[in-house]
Amino acid sequence: MLKHWLARALAVASLLAVPLAPAALLSSLASSAAAQTATAPAVPEVVRLGYAGGPRVWMLGKADGSYEKAFGTKVQWVPFNSGADVLTLLAAKELDIVRFGSSPAVAGIIRKLPIEVIGVSGVIATSERLIGRAAVKSVKDLEGRTVGYPANSTAHYALQAALKVNKVDVAKVKQVPLRPADIVAAWKRGDIDAAYVWGPFTQQLEADGGHEVLASRDLQKDGYYVWNNFVARKEFLEKHPQIAVQLLRVFQKNVEQYKRDPEGSAKIVAEHLNVDLAAARSTLAGIEYPELAEQATLKWLGDGTDTADSVIAKGMKDTANFLAEIGEVRKADIPDSFAPWINTRYLREALARKDAAVKP
Amino acid sequence: MSEGLAGAAGDRDGAAATRAGAVRSRPLVSVAAVLAVVALWQAAGSLGWIGPALLPTPAEVLQTGRELAETGYRQVPLWEHILVSVARAGVAFLAAVLTGVPLGLVMGVSPTVAALFDPFVQFLRPLPKLALIPLVIVWFGIGEFSKFFLIYIATVLSIVVGAAGAVAAVGQERRRAAAVLGVSRYQMFRHVLLPSTLPELFTSVRLALGIGWTTLIAAEMVAATSGLGWMVVNAGAYLRTDVVMLGIVLLGLIGYGLDRAIVGLQKVMVPWTGHA
Repeated sequence: MLKHWLARALAVASLLAVPLAPAALLSSLASSAAAQTATAPAVPEVVRLGYAGGPRVWMLGKADGSYEKAFGTKVQWVPFNSGADVLTLLAAKELDIVRFGSSPAVAGIIRKLPIEVIGVSGVIATSERLIGRAAVKSVKDLEGRTVGYPANSTAHYALQAALKVNKVDVAKVKQVPLRPADIVAAWKRGDIDAAYVWGPFTQQLEADGGHEVLASRDLQKDGYYVWNNFVARKEFLEKHPQIAVQLLRVFQKNVEQYKRDPEGSAKIVAEHLNVDLAAARSTLAGIEYPELAEQATLKWLGDGTDTADSVIAKGMKDTANFLAEIGEVRKADIPDSFAPWINTRYLREALARKDAAVKP
Repeated sequence: MSEGLAGAAGDRDGAAATRAGAVRSRPLVSVAAVLAVVALWQAAGSLGWIGPALLPTPAEVLQTGRELAETGYRQVPLWEHILVSVARAGVAFLAAVLTGVPLGLVMGVSPTVAALFDPFVQFLRPLPKLALIPLVIVWFGIGEFSKFFLIYIATVLSIVVGAAGAVAAVGQERRRAAAVLGVSRYQMFRHVLLPSTLPELFTSVRLALGIGWTTLIAAEMVAATSGLGWMVVNAGAYLRTDVVMLGIVLLGLIGYGLDRAIVGLQKVMVPWTGHA
């Protein structure tokens, strides 16, 4: 108790000593010390799930309340703008489990956030794309032109990978970080010639004279995987492992529902989030959903013994090296392997339960 | 800032020796307080009270500062980030002074002009400048002008209000006395209004500089790839709290330096401040 009081007082005091502190940092520091439960009940009072606000398959479960039902407790859905916000929220212990992109998750682990990857929610295939004006026929054509991207996002990562794969002279490309909505504004003014972004913004650019130059799926053959994962705070997982298991089970059901009825699912999600149906349809279809059973193999996360050799563990390492290359993280801070931050226990338990449920 | 105020207070109460003694020891108290907080801050990290991602220690921030000074941040040298930010804020601030002071003075002298501009000034001044960002991008694009405009609009309005207020604060009897002596309109302005308003003008300019410097973060959120404000925002996105801390310390120190510079300028240009 004293420790936390001290931590809080200190965080505030140190910031008072240096003027012009951004409010976000202040609040993250202060609340991080504050949020702590004394005892650990089997079921938490509330589970705080972070979601990006866009059309995603697990919004089906948000719409029909199946996560609440499976957890046996309340769910607080916390919206965020980008993976960058997620890191702050996790550091402040304001989120328990969150679905977000691979590259910000890797950045968080490198910065020693106590978090674990517990599953893959989808591989970004065509939901994130490079959209260009007529003159931009290939990625190489970006030389001498301006391209926008949302900073520290999966799209940012994919853009850098695309530039590298296509041997583009990066010095000749003007890259501007912009929020997705600002990308559309800059496009309309003619300030940018291309942008790497996700739906529904890609569709907005296409409606205004843009065309697809490249989709994230095209980078897979060169070994660049961009995916979204379920990440949880370690502390929360230790106290409530069952919540993680249940979350993965419900998610699998959402995926099955979507595969059975893509159109009906898109309608539910579009209505629930109040977004354009066409955008919801194309975004949901632009993500590949690996089965839980498949996820526990080397193709994805591995089974816990061979996780270090899994595609995702390697993908995380590649992402980390890339982040160091562009100067966002310190090379020295990157761990040898990301396997210790991938916990497939919940995945395997969810599978065991699922098998039991399948044969009554 | 507190030192300046304390100094001014000391001048007035010079007779009270005990007060003067207290005033002289104030810098010492300030230095000791800062050192104590820095020591506690370092201890919090060294003793593991708070994780390094949440609160990087002063030693780590210093180390980061050394790294960035050598290799730069995101392919841009640290001094360039500093220079870019100072230039952005400086140009916008100068433009705000050059346009805001005359407009404010005219508004102070002429009730008609004041009535003409007042609604807009009063509406725009308290507006959070972050709210303007989407419009600024649509209107002016993502180049340097957008950043300039955000800082300019934040500073010029408070300068206008300050300048108009300074004129209004000049005593009627002083104006009447001058009028009785038969001064021309120019003489009235040059020898009565201007000297009387300058001290207050400096205060509002000084406050505006602070506002401009704080708007830097908002301005550099618009498609920037360099500058201290951008560095803080971008590093925050990757939880590089050490870089964030370094940026904050630099922003704070430079802001303090700029404020001192204005106070120095005021002492040279308006030595009669506080004696009017």
